[in-house]
Amino acid sequence: MEMLSEPLSLLLLLTALVIEVLAPVLHYHQFGEAVRTARDAGFSALFTCGIAFAVFPTIRVFRREMETGTYEMALAHPVSRCGFFLAKSFGAFLAFVLFSVTVFSVALVMFKGAAVGGEIASKTGTIVRVYGPFFVFGVGAIILPLAISAALNRFFRCRFVLSSFLICAVFSLCGGVASGVMLGEVACKLLPASLLVSCPAAVVLFSAAAFSVRLKTNAAASAALLILAFSLPAMDNYYRVESLARGGSLPCLEVVSAVLFALPAVAAFLLFGIYFSLRRE
Amino acid sequence: MSMKEEHIVELENVKKTFRDFWLRPTVAAVDSLSLTVRRGEVFGLLGPNGSGKSTTIKMILGLLAPSAGEVKLFGLSPRSIAARKKLGYLPELSYLHPFLTASETLRYYAGLCGLSRKEAASRTKELLEMVGLSDVASRPVGGFSKGMARRVALASSLIGKPELLILDEPTSGLDPISTKEVKTLVKALAAGGMTVLMTSHLLADAQDVCDRVMIVNHGRCVAEGNVAELETSLEEFFLAKVGDVQDFQLAPFLAAQNVTGKDK
Repeated sequence: MEMLSEPLSLLLLLTALVIEVLAPVLHYHQFGEAVRTARDAGFSALFTCGIAFAVFPTIRVFRREMETGTYEMALAHPVSRCGFFLAKSFGAFLAFVLFSVTVFSVALVMFKGAAVGGEIASKTGTIVRVYGPFFVFGVGAIILPLAISAALNRFFRCRFVLSSFLICAVFSLCGGVASGVMLGEVACKLLPASLLVSCPAAVVLFSAAAFSVRLKTNAAASAALLILAFSLPAMDNYYRVESLARGGSLPCLEVVSAVLFALPAVAAFLLFGIYFSLRRE
Repeated sequence: MSMKEEHIVELENVKKTFRDFWLRPTVAAVDSLSLTVRRGEVFGLLGPNGSGKSTTIKMILGLLAPSAGEVKLFGLSPRSIAARKKLGYLPELSYLHPFLTASETLRYYAGLCGLSRKEAASRTKELLEMVGLSDVASRPVGGFSKGMARRVALASSLIGKPELLILDEPTSGLDPISTKEVKTLVKALAAGGMTVLMTSHLLADAQDVCDRVMIVNHGRCVAEGNVAELETSLEEFFLAKVGDVQDFQLAPFLAAQNVTGKDK
């Protein structure tokens, strides 16, 4: 909840909206090679920026507790330092995973829509850049939760960011089921494809959590972003989404290697974090 | 029950020296301090600013590790979960999550204390009524006044039905009526068998509430005794023991302002 209360989380949500609106619209325009390369690189960078953005709320979740004293207040209760660190870290990571899966599944549906639109255009000669229902569903999956949350906030004083996140997640679930019907085999690839995003994100976010116990905000962010630099394979996730939308497959080995890369790194950062928590005064 | 078991808090020759990044000693906050708090009493830890009261409390809470000596809480290490299950803590500043409502705050701390959902809900309702915040239970505490936030913090310190309540400046930020209510509450809790360890700058408050006090200065105990046995007021006793602590050098300032300091 703290993670979602960060203004950056809302920014992340809005960035995702922009990406999803722009991506399919631009996807099947006839660009020159240079412009297309720039476009693809831009989208890839945005995927990576999503992880970089998520580093800051994660760090703030810890640093704010420590700077405002709520950390001490919590530790005066019967909770272990180790348990507290793990709960916070996994809470922050879970929020990110739910969010990324939401965006990822909607993006997948949008790209598929664009691909179907492209097929119609090539068969009928009609210029249909984006297949209507997919576009409406994709954009709606973001805009509708925001609108519902705004209404809930206006009439029932519900928290905007929290409700928008939760409703987005519900829509995503519905989207997953709907896309399972509409897209068939593509939807089945959603989980392994999400793993490719979540694995480097896990390494970066858990490193951010561990560093934030020991270092101040800026130093912890710098250290975590350095770790992100080592996790740059995440940059090509954009191409994978595109290839999945076109009916391509995801090599199993790639998913396994991503998991094998993430597990020991996450374990190491968790151990660092627990050690720093136990030693912290 | 043996005498040993009756000691809820025990500090024996405790020292705390803060160190810098290179582990060089910077400040000796507590120096050879020994104290015991007995079951059922209201113990006051008094002293001027920077005397080591908060450091002592943080060591009792297990938030700081002593550089030397031993701290025991219910006969256990202060870091043990079993000891902290019996503890309630009200810090000097009300550390609350601003985005949580008063009710959510209490339920959050109830969760940390291991209360069931049902228990947490009934205890939350009961405590919010006690501190007079039932009407604003669904408002985020970020928008609360200092006094209201203080009352939420007080309620959260009582959520786990503690055996020992540690109050760091409990009346800080409260208006006179709320201050009186807090003092009445502390007396009522003590009468119900709860042990209370409190710090306060308001010596009159401490005199009204405490059974026994310890005065610390520069991290050392300078006096300890029963309030009922004092021949003077606690304030006079305090000044006699601590001496003339001159944090403020007022005389030159007042002279420069051409103020005599006498009442007109």
